[in-house]
Amino acid sequence: MNGLQTNLLAAADSGTAVLWTFLIYMVGVFTIAGLSNRLLKNRDFLSEYFLGSRGLGVWAFALTLAATSSSGGSFMGFPSKIYTHGWSLGLWIGSYMVVPICVMGLLGKRINEVARTAQAITIPDVLRDRFRSISFGLISVSLIVFFMTFNLIAQFKGGSTILKTLLGPIDAFTSSAASLPDWIGNMCSQGNEYLVCLVVFGVAVIVYTTYGGFHAVVWTDVMQGVVMVIGVVIMLPLAINQAGAVAATDKGAGLEQVTRAMARMVPPRKGTASITAAKAGTDVTVPSGSWIFVGEGDEQRLFKIKNRYDLTASESRFEAAEIWEIVTPADVEQVRRRLESGSEPSNVTGQINLEIEELKDYAYGAKPEQAGSYVTGPGPSREKADGFLPLSLAISFFFMWAISGTGQPSNMVRLMAFNNTITLRRSIFTVAMYYSAIYFPLVIIFCCARVLMPGMESEPDRIMPQMAVELTSNIGMGWLAGLLIAAPFAAVMSTVDSFLLMISSALVRDIYQRNINPDAEEKKIKTLSYVITMVAGLGALFGAMNPPEFLQDIIVYTGSGLAACFLAAVVYALYWPRSNAQGCIAAMVSGFAAHLSLYLIGFFQGNGFSPYRPLSMDPIIIGLVTSFVVGWVVTILTPPPPRDLVEKYFHDAS
Amino acid sequence: MSSPDISQASNDTGTGPRLTQVFLNSRREAIVIFGSWFVALCWAVPYCYINGYGHLVDPETMSTTMGIPTWLFGGILLPWIIADLFTTWVCFFFMKDDKLGAAGDEETHAEPVAVTGAEGGAA
Repeated sequence: MNGLQTNLLAAADSGTAVLWTFLIYMVGVFTIAGLSNRLLKNRDFLSEYFLGSRGLGVWAFALTLAATSSSGGSFMGFPSKIYTHGWSLGLWIGSYMVVPICVMGLLGKRINEVARTAQAITIPDVLRDRFRSISFGLISVSLIVFFMTFNLIAQFKGGSTILKTLLGPIDAFTSSAASLPDWIGNMCSQGNEYLVCLVVFGVAVIVYTTYGGFHAVVWTDVMQGVVMVIGVVIMLPLAINQAGAVAATDKGAGLEQVTRAMARMVPPRKGTASITAAKAGTDVTVPSGSWIFVGEGDEQRLFKIKNRYDLTASESRFEAAEIWEIVTPADVEQVRRRLESGSEPSNVTGQINLEIEELKDYAYGAKPEQAGSYVTGPGPSREKADGFLPLSLAISFFFMWAISGTGQPSNMVRLMAFNNTITLRRSIFTVAMYYSAIYFPLVIIFCCARVLMPGMESEPDRIMPQMAVELTSNIGMGWLAGLLIAAPFAAVMSTVDSFLLMISSALVRDIYQRNINPDAEEKKIKTLSYVITMVAGLGALFGAMNPPEFLQDIIVYTGSGLAACFLAAVVYALYWPRSNAQGCIAAMVSGFAAHLSLYLIGFFQGNGFSPYRPLSMDPIIIGLVTSFVVGWVVTILTPPPPRDLVEKYFHDAS
Repeated sequence: MSSPDISQASNDTGTGPRLTQVFLNSRREAIVIFGSWFVALCWAVPYCYINGYGHLVDPETMSTTMGIPTWLFGGILLPWIIADLFTTWVCFFFMKDDKLGAAGDEETHAEPVAVTGAEGGAA
């Protein structure tokens, strides 16, 4: 259990209230699933279960699309990036100003029409029928399952991390997690509490998605979308007010002073140290996130120790402990104030000795000539000497969000589900307003977090829930943290349920019904849909027990990979009468290969999950350009499509 | 993106089969929407780069607008507001309403399927 949460929430006597908020939220989710299941009766099962019978109205369509797009990345990874790199995240996310109109407007009307003409329920359905090509359908199914599985595991990890923060302060939860048998705990690399949260989160989302199908996913998305925007709307004034007060000078308070305080900030140093007890032979517990002042007077330095250490007589020294040195004087003072007020949980000054082994400055942002890096581009970066967001990457992210978002099958399938074009137009407007209310305000909120809560660089993925607890506790309304933490939880949940349904629809509809047993009875299809949805969810749950480290990196990889595969193929299929199966398959496969190869090159260069970027361009641009060019070339080099197919999808029946 | 092989698909000749109205409207709208993305890119990135990158900052005198660094206000927030206005225009005055056809598995809705022009009478 994280000490900060314990301290704050216990002080506010809010643990029970947080739990109640969460339980009420879950009751709402299951109620919706139950109601949705009733809709499955007396309707075409597959169309209803996977596509909501093409009947989505404005609110359902708008918010399901918005909520699905706002994944765990938006409420976990994005805040952590803002906290780590400052105002430059405004440019990073800037293309969201046109994301709604691009994602829904570029393909929406046309893909909906083609799906109706083809009587398609899934994206592979559309491609298969549009080109009368079984192999195209199977290739697209394979790619969807490949990418979605990766993404699901990352999203499950995000959901569990959030739930762990939410339930952390509750004794019943911590004691039950601690009492798990060792053989169960050993199955998970993230600890017992994470495992319990993973099971609770996973089972909840699997049950309501399996039981309720598409309508359950859509209407829980609506509820989750509302929760998200309420969370942001509440946090924004609290963050400006509280951080503004901390940064206040005789020239005033508020956001302007927050920005000026950020301009004075110098990125922290990361390093390692050995830890020993100050008095030999004594037992000392160093909780995770402990602070220690080293030295005296003007020479005094402040360090944060990331992980927990238990010093005992038998284990009296730990080497290579990860430490962070806070070097901005105002941040040091803010930590000192928080320690004095009890807002920070642990000060181990005087209890242990810290022998520094290594300390490194940020590669960009620490030098005097880079002063003010948190308020200017390209933003500070620990690894990259050219900063967080060099020009080429800024361009890449304009492609990433708007164009890559357009190429997401999870968005496309929603575009197949609206009921008429009035709904489409009103929904584009609604999502535009919705994103405006969320994304730039998030940048402001987590810039404020830099001033309010220094030192979170050691575990930036926790900044969102920590900030929610901090803001509400400071106004004596700790129970409100439950609602605010529900926002990222809702974001993850709304993405997970959609992806889960996409995987099961790909397997049930595109593999089983269309290739193995076209004459399967509805009862059998129904049973299979339930079973596959559940099995896919359980598979992701087991995968998330030992999850990969980089949540946001995996989400970016799968998102950009799907776009590199699907966008060109779908655009050609919808808008180019001359396009044929060969060309579109080539577009899909070449986009996949180009995108993947850049990640593999990066991996073999020793960059981990960070791709190789030729000319500093992100793989999404390379993948998209390759896909469009190869698709076009192969199409014109191969015979035109059958005339009846062109007439079916492009010409008036008369 | 038509080709000679299917040139009689063109609506311009008046001799071949007619392209569907949904296709024609969708293509026209997609071109305008893609153009808006391109304009946003051409404004936001260069503006932010020229005004916000690589500058030495004096915390006391740096330029802010409503508490936000001015380069970000002019490069992102202001165009974001303009983009919202543009989206509003597209949604209510530019996009056409079309019949999308029937798949036969649709939910029966209370809301009528639109066949008339865009709200605001632009159709």
